[in-house]
Amino acid sequence: MKKSILTLFVLLLAVATAVPADHPRNMKFEPLAFDPPEPARFETSSGLVVYFLEDHQLPVLTFRAFFHGSSAYDPPGKAGLISLTAGLLRRGGAGDRSPEQIDQDLDFVGASIGSNASYDDITADMNCLVKDADFCFGILSDILMRPKFDSAKLELDKSNRKDYIRRQNDDAAELSRRVYYQTVYTGHPYSIYPTLASTDNITRDDIIAAHKRFYHPDNCIMAIAGDMTLDEVKGYINKYFASWPKSGRQIEPIAPADPQYTPGVYYAEKDVNQAIIRMGHLSLDDRNPDRFAFDIMNFALGGGGFVSRMTGRVRTSAGLAYSVGTYQYTRPLMGTFFGYCYTSAGQMARATQMMIDIIAEVKTDGITAEEMELARESIINSYIFDYDTPSEIVNARAEVEFLGFPPDHLRRVLEAYQQVTLDDCTFVAKKYLDPDNMVIVITGNKALFDKPPGLFGPVVDVPMEIK
Amino acid sequence: MKFLYSLLLVLIIGTAAAATDNLQLPVEKFTLENGMTFLIVERHTAPVFSGFISVRVGSGWEKIGNIGTAHLFEHMMFKGSETVGTTDIEAEKELWVKEDSIWARIDNARQQTRYIRLNQEDKLEAHLQYIADLEAVLDSLAELGSQYVVQNEFDEIYTRNGGAEFNATTGYDFTQYFVSLPSNRLELWFNMESDRLKKPALREFFPERNVVSEERRQSVENNSDSKLFEQLMGVAFIAHPYQIYWEWQSEENNLTRSDLMNFFHTYYIPQRMVAAVVGDVTVDQVKAMAEKYFGDIQKRPDPEPLYTREPEQQGERRVDLHYEANPAVFIAYHKTAFDSPDEPVFKVIERLLGEGRTSRLYKALVLEKQLCIDVEIDVFPGSRFGDLFAGSFNIYAYPKEGITTAQVEEAIYDELKGLATKPVDSLELTKVKNNIEADYIWSTYHNMGMASSLATAQNLARDWRYLYRLKDKLMAVTADDIRRVAGRYLIENNRTVATLIPLEKGAEQ
Repeated sequence: MKKSILTLFVLLLAVATAVPADHPRNMKFEPLAFDPPEPARFETSSGLVVYFLEDHQLPVLTFRAFFHGSSAYDPPGKAGLISLTAGLLRRGGAGDRSPEQIDQDLDFVGASIGSNASYDDITADMNCLVKDADFCFGILSDILMRPKFDSAKLELDKSNRKDYIRRQNDDAAELSRRVYYQTVYTGHPYSIYPTLASTDNITRDDIIAAHKRFYHPDNCIMAIAGDMTLDEVKGYINKYFASWPKSGRQIEPIAPADPQYTPGVYYAEKDVNQAIIRMGHLSLDDRNPDRFAFDIMNFALGGGGFVSRMTGRVRTSAGLAYSVGTYQYTRPLMGTFFGYCYTSAGQMARATQMMIDIIAEVKTDGITAEEMELARESIINSYIFDYDTPSEIVNARAEVEFLGFPPDHLRRVLEAYQQVTLDDCTFVAKKYLDPDNMVIVITGNKALFDKPPGLFGPVVDVPMEIK
Repeated sequence: MKFLYSLLLVLIIGTAAAATDNLQLPVEKFTLENGMTFLIVERHTAPVFSGFISVRVGSGWEKIGNIGTAHLFEHMMFKGSETVGTTDIEAEKELWVKEDSIWARIDNARQQTRYIRLNQEDKLEAHLQYIADLEAVLDSLAELGSQYVVQNEFDEIYTRNGGAEFNATTGYDFTQYFVSLPSNRLELWFNMESDRLKKPALREFFPERNVVSEERRQSVENNSDSKLFEQLMGVAFIAHPYQIYWEWQSEENNLTRSDLMNFFHTYYIPQRMVAAVVGDVTVDQVKAMAEKYFGDIQKRPDPEPLYTREPEQQGERRVDLHYEANPAVFIAYHKTAFDSPDEPVFKVIERLLGEGRTSRLYKALVLEKQLCIDVEIDVFPGSRFGDLFAGSFNIYAYPKEGITTAQVEEAIYDELKGLATKPVDSLELTKVKNNIEADYIWSTYHNMGMASSLATAQNLARDWRYLYRLKDKLMAVTADDIRRVAGRYLIENNRTVATLIPLEKGAEQ
């Protein structure tokens, strides 16, 4: 992180004359410079990269490890394996410690260790008071390097995961979200969700193999912040992780998958008194240079909250919804752009039509210069809040290297937002927004809708049976 | 043990201040002449600050018939003020008078409908048309008003200036307004917040009433947990306003601007407001700006207190909810208010039963007997420092496939009985106190968390140092206290049980 990275610029425009001088709209502020501290970086002989930010405000320590690999690597028929492996690391015993001993030891000192796999990465986290650092690093290293994957705990985890799958349609919002991702990512690993059968298929040997595949020092970047010195951190890393054998190989990337979804209406029936609408399509991934212009365009369209067109019209003016807007999910393998709305069932078609019209309008006409400046100022001026605690600063810095971006990535991102022009916004709106070819997921009870879902395209009834 | 040693020290010295050095917060406090209190912590880590305003009023003060006032008013505070959000406030006000009078006619006509349907059926159609026409007039007045509205300008100004964590929440005891900003925007925060707290403008009122209805549908009616919780509280409390989890649409949809303004004038008075500012600011700056922006708010008389107390429960209450979701069982026990000596004991019991994988309920029900996928403890309404009135101690459990809620209940009651009969061993109690110690440290990691704790403690106990007094009390809880409180409160006669029974798809209810 360079010194200049988070210098914040205020781009306030001089405004109207008819308002009093002390109107908040007219208050002007000097540019605010913020140089977040630069974390230290070191690398061990086994290829483990560690970032550390010294901070003595509170007697605490935060830790995060990033591993390449993710649920996208689940073998066919065994969806859920990588995430089950991550969960069981913490719960299945490690080294000479039984599962119960680890629970007791961590709970006794008020510390937490957790491991999690998403579709994009594997992470492990630890938070503890600094006085317990040695004790907790000891447990953490056993968990990452010497997990036991106790059979009884594996069976309990599998059984509980199956119970959660049986409950996956209980909540209408969760149902809508899952159906959207499963549909829009058809043919892509992001569309694969664990099932009762895939969970049953997972064996202890699969778990051991998954651990062997991903949990290596040369596949790991650690981010540590807190009340220690660099020498102390190096001491702990040496004491607990020196014996971790290097794998000497890289995790192979996921093969690119082409979009295969069929546009249309996907109706997921649930007897609730609202319609939950989610409409969208595939969009930009995190390497796409157009993403900065797209973020600004999307902010004005529906991503910027109250000040965006979609929230302003559907919520503030029409009073049709409490939650309504758009979201650009810029994922590493493939992004998606979608609008969402929770409205009374009897207003389903009215709200759906408004949303489609607003997306189409922005595709055709782009956004205005005022909307662009507001979005840009908000993104740049609030950027600092992603880096205002020691753990956020060090985690962000480690993640930049983990994702393979250049060291000055965060500065470049800010510059990229600065440089977006209105033409860029018009260009990305035209290029990427595709209101005629969307997946439109409608969750609710069609008997209560103002008009049938078929108004918005061919309707597929989503099977609600749980397999 | 280190913590026991420091605990002893605290008891001997008898100080209310921090139990350990690292906990001492450099809090500066001052009160304006009108009674509004400010709390400041300078923290210069990053050039940002969090501002948090707590108002000592929430849905608990609403009167039957006007349920929803506190929440709708909080929503209206985002519409700006007589300054922000308008190009011509006088023109807007004139239109609001017209809107309100049309609304009064709609309201009156709707009241007549049931009698016309009963006695003059031939006039019903014309009557309904009359209502529809009035509704159209109301819509067109809103349309007319929009020419004077700078839509969402309040939000826009914060957004443009990099505002983060910008929101407000309405609770039972308190309503809170908060935002984080780059530190050189401190005066913007003072200007914006004082402006809306002095001259709120209830523009776009009728659409916002609908927005709040959608919020209820989304958050309560279509969410099985909230729906079950609503039943649980409705049955557990027969007198106290804590019985109403979320406003009823039938009342909310008939609230008027004058209902809201009466509420505002009664309760949004400076002596009920506490502001906390934490971050890269100086005490002198905050003092000067507080005087300038909030000093001219007039002190108004204190409103009538809330007298209602929940009568003692004298027998188990049960309620079922048939809903399209998997089974769940929620259990509530009446507990104490923040100023009761038993309240800290509840806080310790809460952790003993529900915090972490080694907590009693999680260990017994999830890990050992394997009856549930999850079990949680919740204190209601749930302030970290206790609640203004006697709330409830709740347990939520989600049975595994093939396990009945009766089996789950039995296992829970066994654990509670154990708590009331066998003394907790010292290692287990030490674990809980270690966690309290750690949480006190972590709770200051973020500016907003610290601001929220300070303002809430001040507004609840009328002294922010209660934060530490409570900690001393928590550390002093004994095994005997736990046995006594469990034996007195966590018993059948004081219990309400709500059960979610799955509604088969397509079946008649």
